[in-house]
This record gives sequence, C-alpha cells and structure tokens, in this order.
Amino acid sequence: MLLYKVMKMMHFVLAWLFASTTLFASLTFSVQAATNDAMWQTLQKAALAAHALSYQGIFIYQTGQQSKSVQITHFFNGSGEFSRNVVLDGMPREVFSQGHDLVIFSPKNEKVIIEKRRGQNMFPAILPTNLDSVKTSYSLRAGESERVAGRQTQIFFLEPKDNLRYGYKFWIDTEYGLLLKSVMFNSRNEMMDSIGFSQIGLLNTVDLDWFQPKIDSKKNYVMEDEVVTIIDNSVSKTWTIKDLPAGYHKVDQMIRMVQGKSAAVTHVIFSDGLSSVSLFIEPATKPISKHKKSKFGHGVIGNTSFYSSLHDNYQITVVGEVPEATVIQIANAVVFKK
Amino acid sequence: MNEQISALLDGEIALTDAAHLITSVQSNRQAAETWSQYNLIGDAMRDTPSFSANFKHNLMLKLDQEPTVLSPNPALTNPSNAGNVQVDAPSKIHAGWSIAASFTAVMVVGWMVMHQQTLSSDELAPAEVAQNVPDIPAEYLIAHQASAPSGGAYYIQSVGYTK
Repeated sequence: MLLYKVMKMMHFVLAWLFASTTLFASLTFSVQAATNDAMWQTLQKAALAAHALSYQGIFIYQTGQQSKSVQITHFFNGSGEFSRNVVLDGMPREVFSQGHDLVIFSPKNEKVIIEKRRGQNMFPAILPTNLDSVKTSYSLRAGESERVAGRQTQIFFLEPKDNLRYGYKFWIDTEYGLLLKSVMFNSRNEMMDSIGFSQIGLLNTVDLDWFQPKIDSKKNYVMEDEVVTIIDNSVSKTWTIKDLPAGYHKVDQMIRMVQGKSAAVTHVIFSDGLSSVSLFIEPATKPISKHKKSKFGHGVIGNTSFYSSLHDNYQITVVGEVPEATVIQIANAVVFKK
Repeated sequence: MNEQISALLDGEIALTDAAHLITSVQSNRQAAETWSQYNLIGDAMRDTPSFSANFKHNLMLKLDQEPTVLSPNPALTNPSNAGNVQVDAPSKIHAGWSIAASFTAVMVVGWMVMHQQTLSSDELAPAEVAQNVPDIPAEYLIAHQASAPSGGAYYIQSVGYTK
C-alpha cells in the first residue's frame, strides 16, 4: 500500500517534472523567437530611422589604411531627404544627396571636380529597408550595451551563415533607434572597416540654408564627363550566369564605358542585401605594350577583393567588398555558350 | 553687372558676346552669387510643386519693391530695417531656393565649363585613386564604386590601395 502510494507520488512528480520541462522548453523557445523577431525589428527600425530622422553629427570612417572624419547634416521634411557630408580631414570633399541623386564636389589642384552619382547605402543608412535577403544570409545576435558618441546603444552582431560575406557589429541608439556605428569583420574576426559617429544630435530646423556647397571663387568648377551607362535587359548570346554564390542575386545590369577602354563593357551588379559585387565582361584585348602590367590576377586589398581572368577570349573581372571566395565564385558562375 | 547677368539668362545677350561676363562671374564672388541666385529664381519659377501659384507674381512684386530681398535677410544684417515689408519674405521660399542652390550650382558650373574647356581623360581620374594602384585595376574599382557603392566609398576614393 505504502509502495503504491510512493509509486503514485513518484509518477506524479515525474509527470509534473515532464510537464514543467516541456512548458519551460516551449516558453524558452517562444521567448527566443520573440527576442529574435524583436531584434530584427530593431534593425528594421534602424534602417528606417537613418532616412526618416533629421540629425547632425560627425562620424569617422576607418579602413586599415586610413581614416577620415565626416560632418553629416541629414534632413527629412516628410517627403524628401537631403544630406550634406563634408569630409573634414585632407581634401575638403563635399557630398550632397537629394533622394538618390548624389553630387560630389572634390577639389583637385586648382580645380573643383563635380561628379554625379547614384546614391545608396550612405552611412548611417547602410541597411536596406527590406531585410528579407539579409535574413537569409545572416543571423542576428544581441550583445552588450555600450556608450557611443555620448549616446546609449545596444550592440548587435550580424553574423554570416557562411564564408561568402563579412560580418558586422552594429551599435544602435536605444532612444533614437539610429545606427550609430558599424564595424565589418572577416572570418578571422579582423576588422575590415569601421564607420561610426563620434558626435550626434537631432537636427531641429526646417531651414535648408546649409544645403549648398562652400564655393571657392578662386577655383574653377569642372563637371566630370558623365559616364554613359545604359541599362541592359538583354540576354547575352555568348554568356550566361549559372550557380551564383548562396544568397547573392543580380540587382542591375548595364553597358558602360570604363576609363581607358575603347569598347563598352557589360557591368553586372550582385548583392546579398548588404554587400555588393561588380562583374565586368568584355572582349579580351591584346596588351598594347609589353611593359604594361597584366590585368589578370586576384587579391584582397583592405576590404575589397578582386579577381580577373580570361575565358574564351573574354576578360572577366570581379570586384567587391566581400571575401575572395565570393569574387572567385562569381567569376566562375559566368558560363560561355558554345 | 547684375543687369547683364540677368540679360544673359533671359537670352538677351548672345552667349558668344558674354565671354567677359562668364569670366567675371568666375572671378568675382558677388557676381557668382548673383549669377546663381538669378538661376535659382529661374529654376524656382519653372519648377513648381513647392511654390504657390502666385509665387512668380509675388516674387516679381518683391523684386520691384526691394532688389536686395535675395541677399541675406535684411532683418538679420541691418536691425534698423526690421519691420520693413521685405522682412516677412517667407522663410519657406528661402529654403526652397537653398534646396535648388546646390543642384543649380552644379548646372551653372557645368554650363560655364561647357563653354570654357574640356577635360582630358586623365584629369578625370579621382585624384587619390590614380596614384598607387598596383593590383586592383583602378578603372574597374571606380566603375564599381560609382554604381555599387559601399559605406565609405563616397568619402574616400580608394586611397592607397596598396598591398
């Protein structure tokens, strides 16, 4: 009788243990899921905040080779975005953006050269507003809290799921939701580059007086010849792109002139949502001079990898801020039709 | 001088007769400002959504009343002017001009350049790239950065790409 009672009690205890473990496990799981969703939401918010907030500050961009301080003024009036970036170290380059249109004033000797560019991923707006493709290639993990540029931030690690892209460490302002600092790492955890505010504040103005270049009347302003690029939606008869590295997809294809080349070059751009890679395909030309360095080769310099080779009388060149394995895979994805 | 610039913009002076104007615009800060402001006005009048329907009319009225309305707000530079009619020039319009300013400045300069000189291709290479590029061919790097830029490419033109 006693034995029966004990057994029954044990059964009960076991059942309770089992139930509670299951409950605990499922609770932990859902908490984790919720946290994971919340983390991605924080990242999503940071992606939007960079466009939708008005702010002013100084950030420092650093690579292995050098660093530059940049003063940024970013203004959003509810419908349009304006920003002025003044490089404070070295040459006083100024970068203006209005929406996606970008104009760069860069002094060179007695001239100031004006370049027009397409603007995207400008710090702190380095995250895409649609994070779907980022989610497939990276996982997100929260780190400590830390103070950056006088602001309280939460650290997040965006870690690549393979060795085909670099990882990131983000510092996100806990109050503004703005990305204040980003550091890119390779697989050996070496810093590839870093960009972060040393000072930041919200901009409290409706005035756009600041949105104009500082004109130096002693210099000639020279417009850079616009590089002609033609959007190319055609399918090539000579080559096709097969197995791309995981997570990368084609975002753009154009025909353009490249400096020093007489014939137009096909330029295809791939992205995994964060990093982008350029592929250039062109008919191979014979080197003009024996002394001219061969264009074929590969290497990693700073945060940029490069690979160039010859296939069936075509020169293929791949350049991007990605690991070397990725540029090689993209070059090998080009298949020539027989 | 200002009248001449205005006339040039209105097409009343032929471009070929305006070489001296362009030269002086380049060498003279005040003239350059006048030039860009007249351009801005032109821009503002052609381009429109942000300006009210009677903007042009109001602007003309203001210009008639007070030619200096386009220079720094008189209320700020000369306190004794405070209370004058011109002072209430809406700051919104002012902001509008500033918006157009940098992009118009680009156009103005581009236009001047067209009539003045052409660049040889080696001058086009961003200064810092041309110097030392042993391995990554600069032309591809420039093309990559122009069409698929990453965070820092705007501020640094791939300086010191050395191994």
